[in-house]
Amino acid sequence: MYEISICHLYPDLLNLYGDYGNIQALIRRLEWRGINVQVHPVSIGDPFSPDSYDIVFIGGGQNYEQDILHKDLLKQKKKPLTEAVENGTVFLCICGGYQLMGKYYKLSSGTEIECLGAMNHWTIGYEKRLTGNLVFKIEGLKQQSDSLVVGFENHSGKTYLGDGVTPLGKVVYGYGNNGEDGYEGARYKNVFCSYSHGSLLPKNPALTDELITLALKRKYRDFVSLQPLNDKIEAMARENMIKRLIRS
Amino acid sequence: MKRIIKLLRLYTALFIGKLAIYVCRIAGSGGTSFPGRIAMKIYPEILRTIGSGYRIIMITGTNGKTTTARIIEQILRENHIKYVANKSGANLVSGLVTTLISDVRLKGTPSSPTALLEVDEAAFKVASKYVHPAVLVVTNFFRDQLDRYGELFSAVESVKEGILNSPDTTLVLNGDDSLCASLGRDVKNPVIYYGMDNIPGFEEENGINLNNDASYCLFCKNKYEYLYRTYSHLGSYKCPGCGFQRPEPLVHISRVPAMTGEFTTAVINTPSGNFEANINLPGFYNIYNALAAVTFAEVLGFSHDKTVKALACFESGFGRMESIPVDDKNIQVILIKNPTGLSQVLKYLSTVDRPFVICFMINDNTADGTDISWLYDVDFEPLKNMQNMIRRIFASGIRAEDMAVRLKYAGIFTDNIVIEKNNPAMLDAALNTLNAGETLFILPTYTALLDIRKLLKKRFDLKNFWQ
Repeated sequence: MYEISICHLYPDLLNLYGDYGNIQALIRRLEWRGINVQVHPVSIGDPFSPDSYDIVFIGGGQNYEQDILHKDLLKQKKKPLTEAVENGTVFLCICGGYQLMGKYYKLSSGTEIECLGAMNHWTIGYEKRLTGNLVFKIEGLKQQSDSLVVGFENHSGKTYLGDGVTPLGKVVYGYGNNGEDGYEGARYKNVFCSYSHGSLLPKNPALTDELITLALKRKYRDFVSLQPLNDKIEAMARENMIKRLIRS
Repeated sequence: MKRIIKLLRLYTALFIGKLAIYVCRIAGSGGTSFPGRIAMKIYPEILRTIGSGYRIIMITGTNGKTTTARIIEQILRENHIKYVANKSGANLVSGLVTTLISDVRLKGTPSSPTALLEVDEAAFKVASKYVHPAVLVVTNFFRDQLDRYGELFSAVESVKEGILNSPDTTLVLNGDDSLCASLGRDVKNPVIYYGMDNIPGFEEENGINLNNDASYCLFCKNKYEYLYRTYSHLGSYKCPGCGFQRPEPLVHISRVPAMTGEFTTAVINTPSGNFEANINLPGFYNIYNALAAVTFAEVLGFSHDKTVKALACFESGFGRMESIPVDDKNIQVILIKNPTGLSQVLKYLSTVDRPFVICFMINDNTADGTDISWLYDVDFEPLKNMQNMIRRIFASGIRAEDMAVRLKYAGIFTDNIVIEKNNPAMLDAALNTLNAGETLFILPTYTALLDIRKLLKKRFDLKNFWQ
C-alpha cells in the first residue's frame, strides 16, 4: 500500500488565509484513493529531516509571525530544507512561504530580510497591497483542458524570478508575482510556489493531483497514475469564477 | 458673520440629513449611512458639534458588537435611560452621524442624551478625532476580512490609536483576549477587565488550533503559556518572556449551571456581589457578550436586579440568532463573518437536539470580504460529527459552489449537499425538508443576510432591520 508523508512547516505561525485547506485537500484526495497519509507539523525548535517527507507545505503569515520564525528558519532549517529541495521533494509554498524560499525580502523601508535562498527569486515590499481574485494558466496541467487555476491573492511584496527558476503560470486575471510581467508563481525542481490562496488546492484538483503524482512517482517506481475522482463540485466552483472574471 | 455662516451650514446639514433619513425610510430602504454622508459633506465637523451634547457609549471589536449593544440597550431601558442607538449595524462614521442626526433636534441639541454606538474597529480611530465616549467596550479581536484590513494587528492598532485620542474614556476590556487586554497597558484611562474562570467542561480541547491569531506575545514574541482556554485564543495566558498576562478580571463568570439551545445560566461575580442570571441567547460566545454588557452596567453602577432582568429579555439583533416561527417549524438566522464566529456557531449547532437543516449563504461582495478563503480557517469537525442530525445542507449565495467544495473537503457526504442559488427556491426546499418542531438554520454572510432578510420579511412580515 502506498503511503505519503506530508510536512506542514510552522503550522502554528504560517496559516493565514485558509492555508490548512491545502493540507486538507492533499489528505482527502489521497484517502479517497486508499493511499495512506501522515501529516507532521514541524515548528520552531522541531528538527526537519530532509529525507522524511514526500510533500512539504509552507503557508503564509503576517510580518509579525514571519519575524518570530525567522531565526529558527535560517539557523535550524535552512540546510535540511535546501537539501530536500535539491533531492526532489515536492514542495508547495504559498504567499509568505513562497517569499521565504527566495533570496531576500526587501521591506518598503529599505531593510533587507534574508530568506532561505533555496530558490533564485527575491521580493520587494510596497505600500500598496496586490489584492483580489486571481486566475492563471499552468501549461501542461493534466486532466484539465483549460489549464486554468483559480485563487485569491493578497500580498504587499512583488516577487521577481532569476535564472533557473521558471514561472508557475501566466496571469489571466489579477496581478500575480508583481503585477508587471504577467507571470504568477515559481517552479524549481519539484517546488511549486504561488501567491494564490483561496484555498488553492481544494478548488484546483488537477494541480493537487499533479503534486500527489509527482510525490508518488518519486517514491514508488511501480506507480503509474492516479485513479480519477468525481470532481464535479470543484469544476463548478472553478467554472463559476472563470465565467465571472474572464468571460463576462 | 463667519459664525452665522457656520451655524447656517450646520442647520442645513441637519435638515438635509433628517430629510434624507425620512425619504430613505419612506422608500423602504434603511438609509443608515447615506444621510450621514451627505451631512458630513455639508458640515464636516458635524460629529464633533452634535456629538458633544451626548453621553456616548461605544462598542468595538471583531465579534459580538451588535449582540453586546442589544444587551446594553435593554439594560439602559430597564434603568429608564433615554438613548439612541445605531441598531441597523451601520457602524462606520457615516452610520454614527446618521444615528445622531436622527435623534438630534433641528437646533442641534439631543433629544435622547445617551448614544449607544457600535463602531467598526478602523472607524473608531476616525470617530475618536471628533467625539470621546464616556465608556468604550471592546469585545475581542479575531482575524476578519484580511482583504480589507490587511493584517489582524492593524485593527488592534487602530483601536489603540483611538484610545490614545480619548484619555478620559473608561475602558471595558475582555481580559481573556490578549490582544484586547493589551489595549489597557500603558494608557491613562480607567480600565476594567472582564473574563471567564476556568469552568470545567468548557475548556477548549487543544487540538490543531487553526486560529493562531495570538499564540505569541504581542510585546516580546514569546509563545504564551495557557492555564486554560475558553475558545480560540481566549483564556488565561501568560508570557514567559516579559510577564504580560491575563489581568485579574473585576467582573467574571465563575459557573455556568445550565446551557441549552435557548438560553444560558451563568453565575456572575462583581465587586458589588455575585448573582445568577439567565442569558436570553444560546451559544458559548454570547456568554462573553453578556459579560461585557454586565461589566458596563457595573461601571455605571446599575442595580443587579435590573441587569438580570435585561439579560433575561433582551432581543437579539437583526440576523443574530434571530428566530422566526413558520407554522410548526422554525427559522433561525445567524450572521457569519469570520472563522472564529462560524466555528462558534457550528459548536452551538452541535448542541441542538433535534434534526435540522443548514443553509450557508456565502457572498463575496466588499462588505462580506472579497476573499472567501476564511472558510478554510473554520473547524468543520463538529459538523462532520453530527451528520446524522443534519437532514440536508444547502449552499447558496454568490460563492455557493465554493462552499460546497469546502464542505466536501471537510468530509461531509456530498449527497447531502444541495447547491441552490435561488433564495425563494432554497427556502421552500429547506422548509419542506423539515418535520414539525425542527429548525432551519440560515447562516449568511453580511450582504447575503440583507438579501435573505428581505425575503423573510416579505414572507413572514418581520420588522425593518433599522428598527
